Amino acid sequence: MLTTMSKEITEKRIQTEKPFVVYKKVSKSFGDLKVLREIDFSVYPGEKVAIIGPSGSGKTTLIRLLMTLEEPTSGVIEIDGVPLWHKEVKGKLIKADEKHLHKMRGQIGMVFQQFNLFPHMTVLRNCTEAQVKVLGVNRKDAEDRAKEMLEKVGLGTKLDNYPSQLSGGQQQRVAIARALVMRPKVMLFDEPTSALDPELVGEVLDVIREIAAEGDMAMILVTHEMEFAKDVADRIVFTDGGKIIEEGSPKEVFENPKSERLQSFLRRMRK
Amino acid sequence: MTIWSWDYTFEVFPVIFKAMWITLSATIVAFALAMVLGIILAVLRRSSFKPLVWTIIGLSEFIRATPPLVQLFFVFYDLPFFGISLSPFVAGVIGLGVHYSTYCAEIYRSGIESVPRGQWEAATALNFSRTQRWTKVILPQAIPPIIPMLGNYLISMFKDTPLLSAITVVEMLQTAKIAGSASFRYLEPFTIVGFLFLVLSYPSALLIKQLEVHLNRRKKENKAKKSKVKDVAPSC
Ligand SMILES: Nc1ncnc2c1ncn2[C@@H]1O[C@H](COP(=O)(O)OP(=O)(O)OP(=O)(O)O)[C@@H](O)[C@H]1O
Ligand SMILES: [Mg+2]
Repeated sequence: MLTTMSKEITEKRIQTEKPFVVYKKVSKSFGDLKVLREIDFSVYPGEKVAIIGPSGSGKTTLIRLLMTLEEPTSGVIEIDGVPLWHKEVKGKLIKADEKHLHKMRGQIGMVFQQFNLFPHMTVLRNCTEAQVKVLGVNRKDAEDRAKEMLEKVGLGTKLDNYPSQLSGGQQQRVAIARALVMRPKVMLFDEPTSALDPELVGEVLDVIREIAAEGDMAMILVTHEMEFAKDVADRIVFTDGGKIIEEGSPKEVFENPKSERLQSFLRRMRK
Repeated sequence: MTIWSWDYTFEVFPVIFKAMWITLSATIVAFALAMVLGIILAVLRRSSFKPLVWTIIGLSEFIRATPPLVQLFFVFYDLPFFGISLSPFVAGVIGLGVHYSTYCAEIYRSGIESVPRGQWEAATALNFSRTQRWTKVILPQAIPPIIPMLGNYLISMFKDTPLLSAITVVEMLQTAKIAGSASFRYLEPFTIVGFLFLVLSYPSALLIKQLEVHLNRRKKENKAKKSKVKDVAPSC
């Protein structure tokens, strides 16, 4: 359970600091299908935001844009005041190149629904390769950090196993450690437990709770686990039809939903 | 004159056996070229720069649609007019290597396409550079499953090396022909050549079959494990 104290600290920050991630009128279409419609959305340093909403409402797309896995059709996303998908040249915003994206991406980490561990690498290697090749950390230090994080997610004894030898829950915890070792400022979770057997969901949620309680890293969590969202998040964002319909503290959103759509969504989820 | 002379057989065998090394080295060098060039073609075909992709597709189709012998003649007899004179061996290796690279590229492509999209995404999320995504994540997964298929092409290229005799490379067939024309006995030398090809390619084919079975079994085991993990999200 997340302590109320760490939530208060985040509250204070939000009042004093500038947002770390800002979406400005961001839209995304796949062909004729409008998936996101002029989204305005911010995340503050260290803030934990849960995104909820019906299937197909654009939750995954929203965070994939920030991970640079999908390019916005229009609008601007800024990380720490710097446009992510654009470069400023002579006061004009032009499309960013891979070099710029590479520079920006280092601040974001992501945990996927399907884990996406590298099957040809051991657990330890999964958690060291990017440190060595991307961050330039020497292998020894990378391994120390990887072991520390794997210990934290409860897999300190599985270093030499291959992903296929682990349960889904264990794989997802490795994936979390793999993202953590890179020290992102914002970590994205795309329904991290929805590919898991029900009995394995708890162990993954507990790990995420624990990381959230530690503080500094901002998190955007797309989830269908309402209780979990309530515990972990400082703010809940409800999306439907490619728009943010309503947002607020867990208390506001769950106990006093204003829009008809959120009310009916919550009724359906409680069933 | 008897139809088959064992004396003569024992006399020419060492000569042809020695030429086998030319055949083998041509195969190995040409196939190494085909594999490297094949990877390059397969990777470039995924470029977002369309004119490059079209050029590669066009060129590959052209190479596959024309006989390797014609290409060998072109490399050996026509390139000198463009100022490029190559020894028969080098010309042969380039000709066969380039021809087979287009087939290798197709195989690599099937391997690359069978790597799930999530692997690309995870590699991007960890901020691997474009090159590292290929070398650290995609190719190490794409290549092992296609090794048997590459092996089949290796054997098939090996069996194509007699074509090199047409551009005067003194490999097994050419050696047999020379021996035959000197003694007016062709049966023994050509039989020896056939025998050596059989002895080399049949066990290799069996080996590849074995490898294929092994890889398939491993794939099934992995699948069985994976299927325990549900892959559909509960809809709300
Ligand atoms: N690459 C794509 N090409 C075409 N359509 C896409 C693509 N990715 C997503 N979509 C469509 O965009 C819409 C929103 O998808 P998205 O995955 O963002 O929804 P979601 O809110 O995450 O839904 P879920 O809860 O089912 O995961 C869906 O209708 C989906 O089919
Ligand atoms: Mg989704």
